[in-house]
Amino acid sequence: MFGLTAHKRTEPPGWGSVCIFPAALTLALGLGLGLMAATGRPPAAVLGSILSGAFGSWRALEETLLKTAPIFLCSLGVAATFRIKVWNIGAEGQYALGAVGGAAAALAFPGLPAPVLLPLMFAGAALAGALWAAIPALLRLRLAVNEIITTLMLNYLGILFLDWLVYGPWKDPASHGFPMTALFAPGAVIPRIPGTRLHWGLPLCAALALGLWFFLSRTRLGFELKASGEGRRTATYARMPYDALVLLVMGLCGALAGWAGLIETSAGLGRLQPTVMAGYGFTAIVVAWLARLRPLAIALAAFLLAALRVGVENLMLDFSVPAAFGRILEGLILLCVLAGQFFATFSLRRAKAPGTAREAA
Amino acid sequence: MAAATPATHAPAQPLVRLEGISKHFGAVAANADIHLDIHPGKVLALLGENGAGKSTLMAILSGRYRPDAGRILVHGRPADFASSRQAIAAGIGMVYQHFMLASRLTVAENVLLGQEGAFLLSPRKMQAQVAALAEEYGLALDPAARVADLSMGERQRVEILKLLHRKSRVLIFDEPTAVLTPGETAQLFAAFRNLTSRDRAVVFITHKLEEVLEVADEVAILRRGRVVETLPRSRVSTGRDLACRMVGREVLLTVDKAPLAPGEEVLRVENLSGEGLDDVSLDLRQGEILAVVGVAGNGQKPLVEVLAGLAPPREGEVLLLGHPWSEFYTRPSWRGSLCYIPEDRLGLATMPGMDVVDNVLLTTRRGFSRGPLLDLGRAKTVVRDLVEEFNVHPRDPNALAWQLSGGNLQKLVLAREFYRDPRIILAEQPTQGLDVAATEEVWERLLLARRTAGVLLVTGDLNEALQLADRVAVMFRGRIMDTFPAADREKVAGIGPLMAGVRPGESGA
Repeated sequence: MFGLTAHKRTEPPGWGSVCIFPAALTLALGLGLGLMAATGRPPAAVLGSILSGAFGSWRALEETLLKTAPIFLCSLGVAATFRIKVWNIGAEGQYALGAVGGAAAALAFPGLPAPVLLPLMFAGAALAGALWAAIPALLRLRLAVNEIITTLMLNYLGILFLDWLVYGPWKDPASHGFPMTALFAPGAVIPRIPGTRLHWGLPLCAALALGLWFFLSRTRLGFELKASGEGRRTATYARMPYDALVLLVMGLCGALAGWAGLIETSAGLGRLQPTVMAGYGFTAIVVAWLARLRPLAIALAAFLLAALRVGVENLMLDFSVPAAFGRILEGLILLCVLAGQFFATFSLRRAKAPGTAREAA
Repeated sequence: MAAATPATHAPAQPLVRLEGISKHFGAVAANADIHLDIHPGKVLALLGENGAGKSTLMAILSGRYRPDAGRILVHGRPADFASSRQAIAAGIGMVYQHFMLASRLTVAENVLLGQEGAFLLSPRKMQAQVAALAEEYGLALDPAARVADLSMGERQRVEILKLLHRKSRVLIFDEPTAVLTPGETAQLFAAFRNLTSRDRAVVFITHKLEEVLEVADEVAILRRGRVVETLPRSRVSTGRDLACRMVGREVLLTVDKAPLAPGEEVLRVENLSGEGLDDVSLDLRQGEILAVVGVAGNGQKPLVEVLAGLAPPREGEVLLLGHPWSEFYTRPSWRGSLCYIPEDRLGLATMPGMDVVDNVLLTTRRGFSRGPLLDLGRAKTVVRDLVEEFNVHPRDPNALAWQLSGGNLQKLVLAREFYRDPRIILAEQPTQGLDVAATEEVWERLLLARRTAGVLLVTGDLNEALQLADRVAVMFRGRIMDTFPAADREKVAGIGPLMAGVRPGESGA
């Protein structure tokens, strides 16, 4: 096509692996700006608005960092499952269940002091998220049900379950009919770092990232997880408990996404309400691919995508751009990254018509 | 560089001429400066050991790979194939070892696939067209039969018809007899004759000497990526003569094999059936190599899968180191147990995208555990010693598995598996695709391992089996036809018929 043919690379692209992903990012941004230009908004000003919205002031940077935390946690979990080739796109639902699990603990024991209640909430969130994630894992292992479909559908179930709770049994009688729980007791709110709007969930994320990196690269179980990414046959060949590893990694993702939901509920809103669902679980898929599943790169990619969200919010004010524009940009980034991966394994060459002479080297 | 294009026995212009073809994969030269003529009306045998570069050369000719240097002349005009479609358009087609057929479609549909003339199809017309073509070339086939119901030989004929329908002048066959019964092989060779009598050219890749003697008009011998000799069949006297030319030395590769006193029994299989196996019984002792030979697809794979713990036994009993199968595989010890050297080196035995250290850890990780942690420092030290000891190139422990050549990868797998001090070794086609030097190293390692383990060698290479084995078991259609000492000359002479399911005293089918 177009006079070009694809050839599988016999050697890895030297400069390519470094350049492909920034190039994909730039291309996606370029396409997005083109879209803006087509609707009569000057691209340079649009870019400026996004950048200043995300990084322009300390306040903007704080906002970006705050949004980085949940995206980062979901992405870590999603990347862990992708590594072993379990296509879990259910972080959104696991996030919802985490928010519910954390809120359940907060609402059940409002009188407990923070040092007791917060760990309890984290345990509740991890448990709820992990159990939710275990459903598609078990369905896949026992009944060979495709996990892409089950994790996707469980997202909607999870979100609807959260909605049902806040519209029904958990609704605050004093909320004037708004779907939300009562405000959490002070002991159930993750405290802020003094002098900032940032909360202690952020350092926790950093610690988790280091812990996960250590787990994956230095422990035997982590190695078995990495190796199982080669598939069930290789895992069986090497005597690895493949089924248990799939369950473990899905549970891990559920727990991480659950903590993201908890942090947003507790530190972000101080109560459970439907607006806690902001699509972080879906953004996590983009982040995981953008970072090529490497834990430390995920931190950077999560920060970038958080910046995009915050920047687009600014854009909405400056240029009255619809909120969907942010989602469109995310989608473009994912498509460009996936297309970019094509170039990591194939090279394009100009095709020659058959029968034309080619000088011998 | 020996003989290029001898003109004495080539009166007509060649149909296809290869000039100075070279192809490198990484640092490995799969083909180096190859010159070859393909004449109409002749059967050209491309003879060489595994890994000599035959398949690469034919992949270049059929448009799947592009050469790094050199050119292809078709009817004297240079051609540059960017795809196999372009090669087919130029009249060059290939029958691969693994057939490329849609098994749910009929013979006629497969032959005409992608070549349908109009939007609307008439099955009857298609079948008539294919029947006529099959008739013309004497290829017995029912055009209405579904490919899934056909034997291997019949499927091969469908592939031939596909090429003929696409007006191929040169038909290339990659080890066409590997999947055939002797009867089907005879039919295939008759088809070769039929094709050449109609001025087509046949190129067939093989490493079986007797086939070359039987059907070839010309022989090109490849060794380590080079055509070392091209000669007419009339100048070849015996298989031994060909073998010498092929190996390049007077002697075929031989190894020094002193029998060891057999030790205790490490493996016993009794009446194993199911998954293509039919009442298989065998036993293996420490100190011996038992070779299981047979035409590929006669039950070797399911047997190995059960023994390696990849599939449970359906019927019958398997005792590994004295333990029943299920007990042995509930919690197998990483050390002093069983190791499996699979045929699929890059897909199953190693992880292509990971480095040498990770690949060694794949089966030895328990040996480097400190509590839940892995001692990566010690692993790296051990790996450095192992690659040194087993002569794996590159010596770099950070090299990725897919960057290693087949021979080096295999040596790495052996290094890793032998580090586990196995008592039972399952070696499946351990030297397939390796060059002579690597083959020799692998053989010596296996003979050495015999001192402490029993080796079950599953191989399609009879020479390998006879070189290494103390005993030979012949498999046919999931059954062990016979098991006998490799030193029993009379029995060894009868392996061929046994592989085809004919016991001594019975008449040939």
